[in-house]
Amino acid sequence: MSAITAHKDPKLPPPVALPEDASWVGALSLFDAQAAETLVAVVRTLYPHDGLPERIYRRTVFHFDAMASKAPAAAQVFAEFIDMADSALPLPFRELSEGYRVQVLKTLEASAPFRLVQRSAVRFLYDDVEVWQAFGYEGASVHLGGYVNRGFNDLDWLPDPPAGV
Amino acid sequence: MTAYSLDDDGVVVIIGSGAGGGTLAHELARRGIDVVLLEAGKHLTAEDFVNDEWGGYEMLSWLDKRTSSGTWRVAKDHPLTPSWSCQVVGGTTTHWSACCYRFIADELRARTVYGEIPGTTLIDWPITLDELNPYYDLAEAKMGVTRTNGLPALPANNNFKVMHAGATALGLNVTTGRHAINTIPYDGRPATIQDGFTITGDKTGARWSTLNVELPKGLATGKLELRAQSRAVFIEHDAAGKASAVLYVDAEGVTHRQKARAVVLAGNCVESSRLLLHSKSARFPDGLANGYGHVGRHYLRHLIQTVWSTFDKPVHMHRGEIMGGMIDDFVRHDPARGYAGGFYIEMNSMGLPTTAAFMEPGWWGRDFASVIEQYANMAGIFMSGEDMPQADNRITLTDELDAYGVPVANIHYDDHPNDLKMRSHGYKVLTSIHKAAGAKRSVEAPAYPASHNLGSNRMAAKAEDGVLDGNCRAWEVPNLFIADGSNFATGGACNPTLTIVALAIRQADFMARQMAAGEL
Repeated sequence: MSAITAHKDPKLPPPVALPEDASWVGALSLFDAQAAETLVAVVRTLYPHDGLPERIYRRTVFHFDAMASKAPAAAQVFAEFIDMADSALPLPFRELSEGYRVQVLKTLEASAPFRLVQRSAVRFLYDDVEVWQAFGYEGASVHLGGYVNRGFNDLDWLPDPPAGV
Repeated sequence: MTAYSLDDDGVVVIIGSGAGGGTLAHELARRGIDVVLLEAGKHLTAEDFVNDEWGGYEMLSWLDKRTSSGTWRVAKDHPLTPSWSCQVVGGTTTHWSACCYRFIADELRARTVYGEIPGTTLIDWPITLDELNPYYDLAEAKMGVTRTNGLPALPANNNFKVMHAGATALGLNVTTGRHAINTIPYDGRPATIQDGFTITGDKTGARWSTLNVELPKGLATGKLELRAQSRAVFIEHDAAGKASAVLYVDAEGVTHRQKARAVVLAGNCVESSRLLLHSKSARFPDGLANGYGHVGRHYLRHLIQTVWSTFDKPVHMHRGEIMGGMIDDFVRHDPARGYAGGFYIEMNSMGLPTTAAFMEPGWWGRDFASVIEQYANMAGIFMSGEDMPQADNRITLTDELDAYGVPVANIHYDDHPNDLKMRSHGYKVLTSIHKAAGAKRSVEAPAYPASHNLGSNRMAAKAEDGVLDGNCRAWEVPNLFIADGSNFATGGACNPTLTIVALAIRQADFMARQMAAGEL
């Protein structure tokens, strides 16, 4: 990976700082620890990037919690989803191995609660500036003068097209 | 600031300030005609916009609920947001990627050239390319389109280098294309700084929009009044059957009645059809101008799809203008390909957030993760092709009312066999271009919510075949016009904005002539 630095637009709030230990759930307004940790395990199973630290997945669940706090209907769907995930096999979801977790999620794939959780996971996980940094997306650029002098045409492993093509 | 009275029945009322409505407002105002422009969204400025894909989406998009049905993939992936346009002053020109291609002559004669195709409602346009070309010239000049009027082309960026290498290896005709994006300062606007965020509002103004070009010029004439956060909810007509007033709701929730000399709908396809269908009366029991039942029908959204490919080395596709690449080898109708119509191939770049969301909605697990982790080494290539009009691909009203008491729209779309044949061929071509440039893996991404919304109030040579005549005037209501893409008789293959703008300029000429002659 070439050295890049990811930037969020300066008008937007910085990523929320969560405690690095189990007390992070105290930052949530709706989910209890059991619900929150289950959702973290679900998001990691959906989008397993082994190199990403736990705090990024927790921030994704922090966004779920904010969504659910604002919309009672969404809160209800998250609760249904957690029940479904926890009751599918004799162990709670977060205690299952990855293979069993995948098996459970596949059985839920067609359900509306799965859809909300999966789409929300994509929405928030890949919008995290720490994920951008890890996967090479630099993000906001106007405040840095765009990319015109920062590599918009620096690809050097293919021939350059003729000028004015 | 110009302000007209609600009882002033000498004003032209335009609903929607995007490519069609915003352009028409300026073009009428500079001809000395009094215009009230109603826009449902807020009046934001470059200061408000953000360089952020989701932030921009949530700030600009028309997010009111819609429903969807039919076999199209969008109904499964995006059931409540099947169509993608903007609710803001400037409309979808705050979001567009600025590709500016003209219809070709054959596309305006689709029924004649393609022949009888079962299940379609193809017609020829009531106007020819020769009639349209002078207005394309005017549109390109006002928009500052590259490779026209002496304006230089966009330079090659990283994603284009990939597209160029692959296309050249296959013997295809590839250029950076034509765009309403300044490569040198033009019309008081700066050159692009290759920021890559044209679709979230464009903070620099290098890209033409009605927000930064047409509306300021229109307002400067003193003949145009812009009313933002004014949601049109009903169009009234008088005893003679002419449009007489528009009911709209302001930001405080107060309903007003603006009288009108003429009414123009330009709220993007879905909203314009919805408003006509909702504006029922004893004279028009199925909706205004809908005596022949065409309002809402023949809905088109182009065959849009992307291939995302991963390479061994970095691409950094997010750097620079996002659609600066075009291949035109497949535009012409060629029966030997086994389907009717053609398609443009265009470069496509997205940031990580929307690449992840749209690459394959519903895809999860280690395979997806292994692809998206290679974002930095990813290139994108896209096509926009002509879809077939079908009578039952249509916008209808549901039983559910929105916050303004107007029924929520449903969009029904079934894929036609011709559509599937073109899509399949298109994916093969897009993938072959990336493979020829060294792609390791290519992913066929489906269509995202429809952003090229066309045809649902189409013009036709006869009233029996469409809602509008060749001047985009309702056959049944002589002072009612449409100035958005819903007026297209068929879709053609190219991105529609340049044609919407050209038609709006032509419409301004027609309306001004009619008024001067005392006929409007």
